Amino acid sequence: MRRAHLLGLGFLSPALAIILMLFLIPVLLTVMFSFTNMSTATGISGGAYEINAASLRKLADAGAQESFVETLGKESFVVDDAGITAAAAAYGEQFANEVGSQMLGERFSSRRDLERAFRKLKSRPRSTRDIKKAANLFKRSVLNIRFETAGGLVGAVTDNGIEMTPDQQELLTKTIYTGWTWTSDNFALMAQIPYVWRVAGNTVLYVVLTLAASVGLGLFLAITTFYLPSSSATSFRAIWFLPRILPNVIFVLMWKWLAWDTGFLSSLFANFGVPPRNWMLDTGVNAWVFIVLINGIVGASLGMILFGSAIKSIPQSMLHASEVDGASRWQQICYIILPQLRWPIMFICAYSTLSLLTSFEYILLSTDGGPGGATEVWSLMAFHTALDNYAGNLQYGLGAAMALMLVIVGILASLVYLRIFNFNDLVAKPRIEQ
Amino acid sequence: MRISIENFTKSFGDTTVIEDMSLEIGDGEMLALLGPSGCGKSTTLFAICGIHRMNAGRLMFGDTDVTEVSSQKRNVGVVFQNYALYPHMNVYENIAFPLKVRKESKAEVDRKVQEIAGLVHIGELLQRRPMQLSGGQQQRVALARALIRKPDILLLDEPLANLDAKLRLEMRSEIRRIQLATGITAVLVTHDQVEAMSMCDRIALMDKGQIVQLSTPKDMYENPSSDFVAGFLGNPPIAFLDGTVADGEFRLANSQVTLPVPSGIEIPGEGAPMRFGVRPEFFQPGNPLKVPGKVSFVETQGREELYDVMLENGAVLRSIQSQNAGFRLGQEVSWGIEQDRVLAFGPDGNRL
Ligand SMILES: Nc1ncnc2c1ncn2[C@@H]1O[C@H](COP(=O)(O)OP(=O)(O)OP(=O)(O)O)[C@@H](O)[C@H]1O
Ligand SMILES: [Mg+2]
Repeated sequence: MRRAHLLGLGFLSPALAIILMLFLIPVLLTVMFSFTNMSTATGISGGAYEINAASLRKLADAGAQESFVETLGKESFVVDDAGITAAAAAYGEQFANEVGSQMLGERFSSRRDLERAFRKLKSRPRSTRDIKKAANLFKRSVLNIRFETAGGLVGAVTDNGIEMTPDQQELLTKTIYTGWTWTSDNFALMAQIPYVWRVAGNTVLYVVLTLAASVGLGLFLAITTFYLPSSSATSFRAIWFLPRILPNVIFVLMWKWLAWDTGFLSSLFANFGVPPRNWMLDTGVNAWVFIVLINGIVGASLGMILFGSAIKSIPQSMLHASEVDGASRWQQICYIILPQLRWPIMFICAYSTLSLLTSFEYILLSTDGGPGGATEVWSLMAFHTALDNYAGNLQYGLGAAMALMLVIVGILASLVYLRIFNFNDLVAKPRIEQ
Repeated sequence: MRISIENFTKSFGDTTVIEDMSLEIGDGEMLALLGPSGCGKSTTLFAICGIHRMNAGRLMFGDTDVTEVSSQKRNVGVVFQNYALYPHMNVYENIAFPLKVRKESKAEVDRKVQEIAGLVHIGELLQRRPMQLSGGQQQRVALARALIRKPDILLLDEPLANLDAKLRLEMRSEIRRIQLATGITAVLVTHDQVEAMSMCDRIALMDKGQIVQLSTPKDMYENPSSDFVAGFLGNPPIAFLDGTVADGEFRLANSQVTLPVPSGIEIPGEGAPMRFGVRPEFFQPGNPLKVPGKVSFVETQGREELYDVMLENGAVLRSIQSQNAGFRLGQEVSWGIEQDRVLAFGPDGNRL
């Protein structure tokens, strides 16, 4: 490799580092997480095997035979060496020897049976209470014991004399594992979520409406400020640019104040006898109007700047020419200005679809997907699923799978845009020429 | 249509560019607005077509006062210096644009575009984009666009400035041909005196927002009203000699050489400064009124040769002679001035 190549690589390295850190690594992590079932319950580190009331229920739900679940849940009494040693310590060698010689290896499904067997022995403890206690020494159960490995669990279960078919064994270890596992179920799970199609529809609606609002408003502002005297145009533009530099939270708070049941709109309409209400969350349509306005106004400022500078780069004489050719202001806008804004408009559309698909902060701050999920969009759903769940069980894996869908849609859209724009062309020569 | 500009004043902010200008342009006439860069030619043109509003004064097209009429309604065709073609439309759409905004029928538009395209010889270029045209072709398209709706007035803002020398020559006669063919009243803005003289019926020579002289090219060349006009017209340019009045004659500055003053001229008082202007064609070896000097510059122009002769006081006279004279650089010569063609100017620069 020549030195010039190395130098080029050196200059590129900051960009490469940023792409790596801010794009490739997050995408790779998302892909990774989306193939796990990580959630609050599993934690993100490893897990263990434990049979307890909850995991037995899960096992039943997973389709294990009822008898199998029942056996697992039951305690049993086994006369083994460990029990005999314990009995010797508590009730004397004589009793222990007698139990060992007569009953070793026997198995009782209930304590009463074992007690009954004890009563037949000569050297048994005298009192009934002691017999009970002695029987308890032989109680064996796999309930509520943590096993680090699947093997440990299976060993313990078999030791308890519970016979398992290989299928049952696999089902058991899979279901009662408390940690996360690799899985591709997330995508199927996602398709089964009842509101998922509605969210997809909402997303399309959100992107289309917001785009239309921001491009429309941006164009309107750019064109009106173009015809304004330059000093007032500058301040006008600055005002419209404020929402973009204002912290999101404050911007949305202002909208909330506007819409609250004790806010501006309610107070205003109170004069006309309209009962106060939260105008933003009152109905789904209201919520949409606010979402589109909030996002549209923020988006419009970018369009305004971009379109504005594009209009300014149209040579003055061309506008003069159209005037003396007899074109009215409106015709001038339609026939001269707008056609020459084709590329900036397409660029904003492309750029905004991509950024709108993934941005949900204004929705989160304003309606949080409400009322009743009316304004829940895909990225917000992913966020809710993975990081902010009402039920409290944050499903990182499922959320990552949802995010992965967005990544895929975004990449596909980018490819389409690259084709439309033919980016090489776009870079090669200016689109607004003399 | 006759154009008359009466007491036109135009200022941008605090700077007054044109002050109290009056100009009359006859019906069917082609008038040149000639002047150095920044003298207000374009400003005047933009005022005529309505792009600029006049700060004071009146503008009449024929008998109608159009001072307050918007540029859209003045029915003026304009060819801009850079042509200002619409890049997103092809040639056909560019030419048809003035008709399109008037919502004329498709058939009508098509007929007129074909007709005008024939007139300016661009019939085969109609489907091209402006970017795919040469300068001269763009110029014709701009001309066609300006003419398509049969304007009352055609305004041309330095239409030939962007063309190469040969094309310029060609387009000069082309524009004049079209103007004569359509009989339209035209105003040509230019800073090229050759263009103005060869294309126009009359020339309005402007300086610093004022019209300094308004007359036919021939008259302006032969009878300039001031040394500025004399210096502006003519190629190679006129040479000036500075001096004073001495004993009813003209004495060169820093020199004992005196020249007789042309007849019929009111001579300023004794010792008053004075200027002689001598055009190169009137400083020739054969003339009787000899002035000695040394050839300080020789330029061969093909058919002719141009000489600069430095007089003993450092002043320079120019001479243009047919080739074969064969004078060399540094050669001492004594050539003559044609006395009656000398232009004499007073201390304020005005013609005596
Ligand atoms: N929009 C404007 N604002 C301020 N000053 C202007 C404006 N337009 C023109 N001027 C000034 O008015 C004067 C005349 O300008 P104009 O364009 O008429 O000159 P011109 O004769 O056409 O020159 P050129 O041959 O260079 O085109 C110049 O000094 C110019 O600086
Ligand atoms: Mg000009």
